[in-house]
Amino acid sequence: MNMNEVLLGTLTGLLILVFAFFWQTTLSGVTRKIVARFHKRYGPKFYQEFRDIFKLLTKTGVSHGWVYNFGVMMALGGIMGTAMFMPVMQFAAFPGLDNVFIYVYLFAVGMLGMAMSAVGSGNPLAGIGVMRALTQMVGYEVPFMVVVLAMVYGHGTASVSELAAVQQTADLASWNIVKMPIGTLVGFICLLGMLGKKPFETFIAPAEIASGPMVEYGGKQLGMLMLLHEFSIFIEVSLFVNLFLGGAVTVVGFALKYVGTFVLASLISQALGRFKIDQVIKYFYRWPIALAVVQALIVIFLGWGV
Amino acid sequence: MSFQLSVSLIVAGLFAAAVLAWLLTKVNKALGAWVTVAASAAALTMMALLHKEIGGTVNLFFLQFTLTQYGWFFSIVMLSVFTCVSFFNIYWMQKLIHPAAYNMLYLLALVGTLGAFSAKDFITLFIFWELIVWASMFIIPFGKSRKASVTYYAFSAFGSLSMLYGILFLYHRFGSFEIQSVLHQAAGDPTAAIVAFVTIGIAGLIKLGVFPFHIWLPQAHGNAPEPFSPILSGGLVKAGGFAAFLIVAVMPSYKAFSSNLEFLGRQLAMPIPNYALAILGAVSIVVGTLMAISQNDFKKLIAYSSVANAGYIIIGLAMAGGLSTGGALMHIFAHAIASAAAFLAAAAVVHRTGTTKMNELGGLIHRMPLTYLVYLIAIISMAGIPPMAGFISKWMLFQSMMGKGMVFIAAAAFFGSIGSFLYVFRPLSAVFLGQLSTKHQNVKEAPALMMLPMILLSLASVVFGVFPNLVLNIISQVQTSVGLEGLTLEGTKIIASNGTIDPTLIVMIFGLGFLIALIIFLRFPKSRKVPLMDQYTASEFIWTPELLHYATDFYAPFERLYQKAPRTETFYGAIVRRVNELGKFASYAFYSFKPGTVLLWAAVVIVAMLGGSVL
Repeated sequence: MNMNEVLLGTLTGLLILVFAFFWQTTLSGVTRKIVARFHKRYGPKFYQEFRDIFKLLTKTGVSHGWVYNFGVMMALGGIMGTAMFMPVMQFAAFPGLDNVFIYVYLFAVGMLGMAMSAVGSGNPLAGIGVMRALTQMVGYEVPFMVVVLAMVYGHGTASVSELAAVQQTADLASWNIVKMPIGTLVGFICLLGMLGKKPFETFIAPAEIASGPMVEYGGKQLGMLMLLHEFSIFIEVSLFVNLFLGGAVTVVGFALKYVGTFVLASLISQALGRFKIDQVIKYFYRWPIALAVVQALIVIFLGWGV
Repeated sequence: MSFQLSVSLIVAGLFAAAVLAWLLTKVNKALGAWVTVAASAAALTMMALLHKEIGGTVNLFFLQFTLTQYGWFFSIVMLSVFTCVSFFNIYWMQKLIHPAAYNMLYLLALVGTLGAFSAKDFITLFIFWELIVWASMFIIPFGKSRKASVTYYAFSAFGSLSMLYGILFLYHRFGSFEIQSVLHQAAGDPTAAIVAFVTIGIAGLIKLGVFPFHIWLPQAHGNAPEPFSPILSGGLVKAGGFAAFLIVAVMPSYKAFSSNLEFLGRQLAMPIPNYALAILGAVSIVVGTLMAISQNDFKKLIAYSSVANAGYIIIGLAMAGGLSTGGALMHIFAHAIASAAAFLAAAAVVHRTGTTKMNELGGLIHRMPLTYLVYLIAIISMAGIPPMAGFISKWMLFQSMMGKGMVFIAAAAFFGSIGSFLYVFRPLSAVFLGQLSTKHQNVKEAPALMMLPMILLSLASVVFGVFPNLVLNIISQVQTSVGLEGLTLEGTKIIASNGTIDPTLIVMIFGLGFLIALIIFLRFPKSRKVPLMDQYTASEFIWTPELLHYATDFYAPFERLYQKAPRTETFYGAIVRRVNELGKFASYAFYSFKPGTVLLWAAVVIVAMLGGSVL
């Protein structure tokens, strides 16, 4: 890889980052509005999320020590780094090098940073929240990776931009949602887990453990975590769109797929209650994992969906 | 320096240094410990210089040595761990019951591993293999428990005997003890191949602590003296990887078992014996992970994680492809330095606080920030997160599992990988983060000579995570030297048939992300620093830091789901009871204080022996 490619890629990555911020933050606001209408409320302005983030960033908050601050930076850095790798439509910062494991493990840097910072605040509720978040991760990540295994085995590549490109050869028929419907269902359930939407909202549980990991935050640290939250939603939803819905070629296609996925997840969240953490694990290790394995076996042994 | 002289110097020199360390410790304890430092460092330097002389052979009395690519690789990993850990010996001289014996055995364990890795014939291999077992068996009871040593020896003896049987069987078949030629011949002979595979494999699996032979490992690692736990986990256990490498790669198992590549009319991803190995690896990952999650003892937790990581190593070796073997060897390297660093951080904590129970600790980051960073880097590598070396090896292993479509084994590996986030985070949270207990208010950072090796190991994890090709080039040579496919490396990229990764680029982008975050952080108003007890507690007033520290039963909801699952310990416990009963029966039937009875049995035994030779 020569210098120019790296520079160009980095620039693309930064543009994707800026796009992700404005896109997802707006969409979060819009979704709040949609959800409010379902509650028969009026709801905030669609740019409320921007207001919240900038208000928090400019406030003077408290700090619980260096790891509390460092963890927040490490978290935001890791998540922004991951977001820069994410292909959006045909724009990818490093096509071919956006290996699917980056989105699991570089993402984990961010999660680790946040967990570290939260527990570093010294509040036991943060510790409990992190414990739940990690436990939930064991739940959704394994079925998701099994589906990804089936996909990588079938298409012979682990690069997300290439996996998206494979699905753009023959319109709808080449999308993985058509070729691997069971896997897509599993992927969507795991997406709910990743996004922390109900019923998998146990690690936040505001009424129970006072927002879990977030309990001690305020001021610019909370602002940065909100920023992180928007970026992580962007990564999770885009990954789903790229892996299962055939990526996107046009702006309209991208917007439809992305908004559809995210709004659907948010609405499902409104209709369900919250699982306890052991129920989350039991749930994921019953249906999603079984379906994921079935999907993988179908791809590997029958060769369907390749 | 000639090759002959160097090898003789390393082996004989280490033996001499062992004796010297024993004598000097009797005079001055610190001096004896320094001998272990100097001897390991000297051996490391000499071994590093020997790289250009690979292939030479040396005879030392009846022992035959030869330096192979893989032997050199394993030796360097081992020596790096031994050298770094040896600095800790200095601080433990006052705490051990027999410091002189400890120093001597420490060097004997080292010479045992080096001898085994560079043995030319099986007899030399076996002698040095036993040296490792015996040296470590006597060191383990210097720690907390004697029973741990007995368990360790029982398993090791089984492994050694199994290996000895294999060696003698192969000798009977091919009339030679020479490792390379015998293993190559065995590859063409299905019976010999399966015997070698099983017998030497068992020895390797036991050393690695793979299921179902894993129960000695947490006992031994958890109870050994603190500076010896990293040696066991980072070093000696990896000797098992060496034995596994012998039967899978040096004896090309694909060639040996080429007739076993079909099952129910379907082409398998690998031969059935290799599959068996991989399945044991997968079970180890799951068992090791679940057990590690439920530990409250800092050292036992890392020990169980070693069981899980041995699983990855064995799966990678069993797949015996270019990328997978590379991944396994890289994992041996990455896990050796990471787990050594994690155990050393634990040792530093024990040195300052005197306990390994996680619920008694907490908030040590405010007193030992550097130790915290060392542990953080170690666990990032153990969890396989970039930018550390552990990420590279896990990526290689996952990529090859995906390529072969091994659903169930991969699912176990994914479970272990995500599960590792859980167990590595527990000490981070319970020991280093959270509230600082009042009794640890005056704890100090670990002393400088302890920090030195810990920082070196951490740097190694980072450097070889950012520039993994420095190691992977060597690993690729190792692979081609035994006839496996090498790795495809291009600049900073690692290229697999189904995916490419550029670790340096990932780190650059992560760095850029961190930079932006830092700018955002610095750009906005400075926060007010508050003490740790200034908390949101929903109007409850709590003044005791310990009560605000979440550390006991950390993963209780998750543990509840599997606490009733059957344990391997129950099975071994049943065997122990039977053996005990047999022993009691024997002592009841034959043991007596009466001289007449003793004489009678002695006479019977002598007659039986004589009769045996006459007949």
